[in-house]
Amino acid sequence: MPGEKPAIKKLYALSSENRRFCFPQPLKHSIRIGKREYEVKFKHDEKYGTYILWKNRKYPVEIVRSRQNKYEILFNDISYTFTVETPFSLKRMKVLKAAKGRPDKESVVAPMPGKIVDVLVREGSDVLQGEPLVILEAMKMQNEIQSPVNGKITHVSVKAGSNIMKDDVIVEIKMG
Amino acid sequence: MKIRRILIANRGEIAVRIMKTARKMKIETVAVKTASEPNAMYLSLADVVFDDTDDDSEIPVFLNIEKLITIAIKTKADAVHPGYGFLAENAYFAQKCIDNEIVFIGPPPDAIYKMGNKTIARKIALAAGIPMALGSDGKISDEEEAVSIAGKIGYPVIIKAESGGGGRGMRIVRSPDEMEKMFIIASKEAEKAFNDPSVFIEKYIENPKHIEFQILADKNGNVIHLGERECSIQRKHQKLIEEAPSSALDENLRSRMGKTATDIAKTVGYYSAGTVEFLLDSNRNFYFMEMNTRIQVEHPVTEIITGIDLIEQQIRIANGESLKYIQQDIKLTGWAIECRINAEDVQAGFAPDPGKIIKMNLPSDSYVRIDTGVQAGSVIVASYDSMIAKLIVSGTDRKDAIRNCKMALDKVWIKGTKTTLPFFRMLVRNQKFLKGDYTTTFIEKDLDKYYQSSEYEEMLAAWLATSLFVEENLQDNSISVDYENGKEMSPWLLNKRINQF
Repeated sequence: MPGEKPAIKKLYALSSENRRFCFPQPLKHSIRIGKREYEVKFKHDEKYGTYILWKNRKYPVEIVRSRQNKYEILFNDISYTFTVETPFSLKRMKVLKAAKGRPDKESVVAPMPGKIVDVLVREGSDVLQGEPLVILEAMKMQNEIQSPVNGKITHVSVKAGSNIMKDDVIVEIKMG
Repeated sequence: MKIRRILIANRGEIAVRIMKTARKMKIETVAVKTASEPNAMYLSLADVVFDDTDDDSEIPVFLNIEKLITIAIKTKADAVHPGYGFLAENAYFAQKCIDNEIVFIGPPPDAIYKMGNKTIARKIALAAGIPMALGSDGKISDEEEAVSIAGKIGYPVIIKAESGGGGRGMRIVRSPDEMEKMFIIASKEAEKAFNDPSVFIEKYIENPKHIEFQILADKNGNVIHLGERECSIQRKHQKLIEEAPSSALDENLRSRMGKTATDIAKTVGYYSAGTVEFLLDSNRNFYFMEMNTRIQVEHPVTEIITGIDLIEQQIRIANGESLKYIQQDIKLTGWAIECRINAEDVQAGFAPDPGKIIKMNLPSDSYVRIDTGVQAGSVIVASYDSMIAKLIVSGTDRKDAIRNCKMALDKVWIKGTKTTLPFFRMLVRNQKFLKGDYTTTFIEKDLDKYYQSSEYEEMLAAWLATSLFVEENLQDNSISVDYENGKEMSPWLLNKRINQF
């Protein structure tokens, strides 16, 4: 970025499960494990596509999504989501988080594309964690989509017969 | 051999599998090209391809009996192999083939019908003195009847579809107040999947192992079994990994269960290859569950430990030949494990993840067999099953097979969709699995996660995310992809381009 700014000495990658990985700046092509530095290469070729080479082993990688400082990486067939923070943004984030408290709303999204065959709740219904919300049919299987939390249904976005895509919101629940 | 040309009424890996054996036997094959998969791999292996891409019917051709018969006649096929799924267990289709003087490579229609209807199968097995779980006498008409019968049998019970299979229309009920909801779900699912909403109830055996026996029977009344397969690792009653033999059986139990399996086959005048499924409880009591009157997805593990090509046997039996083997000839040697590599997102509860396979590199070690119907460039379409490949690994014993499996799994390279690979990589390191200490509730009860990153994987992914951030935001010290062809291109751009297709 152009202009005057303080030097960044470190970057943090925070996983969605709140694990923190710290990398010195400027970023090196190697990672220190204990006392040794191991080279890490990010490569691409015709046979394997993009991959990371680490300790003589190739790992398939794919950059699934990226938005601002948020990255979803598919690494050896497992996806990980990270937000990359500088020491300053990390500090700011902590302050903001402390001020905001815990979220009180939960959106339930479709885990897979399919068709809603039955809606078992309506706006205003009280639901308990584990209670079925809708029946979603995908690949000829009927799947119960269950409430992840205790709360009250504030919005139902689907009806019986709706075709939905993965990650479409099914219902919104106010926690409590 | 009277059979000269076989119409494969199927697609995917099983079509490929059948063609390989047919070719070995110098029999020609006919494949059907459909609009949803006009470039599928199975088409390239057939001697004759029937172009059905202009078919605009709602029903897939592989379920269209009249059409398939017409295709068989038009292409001068004298036999039909149904594979698994689709019409493989449709008695009417088998009969239609026979009526048109086309050999149906499978069991007689009457046996398909009797074993396909679970309540009739129960009655037949009961009359033949086959051990079974308590259950309803026939189909249940409503939830009140369900509650009353379940009360007599004792909870937990399992609701099953009369025409069922593959876990559809199946629900476990643990108390009377769950019955109404579960009865409705099971019945609706059964209607959708099998065009028949009828369900029945059985006592639910807690924590059983799923053990199935492969049988072979000819048209002259000879019936043998080829040992068992252990298929307890299931999710929603769908198998993920199978092995043969099972560490839960000894010679005595194997021969008792095998005898029961062949007895069932004899009772219905069975011929062709078939599978008799049992539940084995913790006290080593076994209960007949159902008979599958087709070749099964997991048949390769049996082929490996017996050295017998099951598709070849199906063809020879259909051709009227007698079995070359008697029971004493069947020796189980070594151990085999099959992992079903499906296009599914393990992290989203095994949700199907259809898409185009961009790269696919598979191990070719001597202990590996791959059965697949796709290659790089193929598309896993949402309208069919999510199978990419079956990784079948052998070893001298279970420990050796698992060790080989671990190595092979690390060599499988598939890009383009998410796969079940992370599940298997975790499983072959799971202590309970390694000990053979698992039942059908393993995934549900013994696992808190369906996958496990190895020690440094997440850290490497974090490094990559950080390097992308650096490239985007701090251009003064950017890191670029090291391209083998010398051209440096931002992985960002590359990825955006890939995603546009």
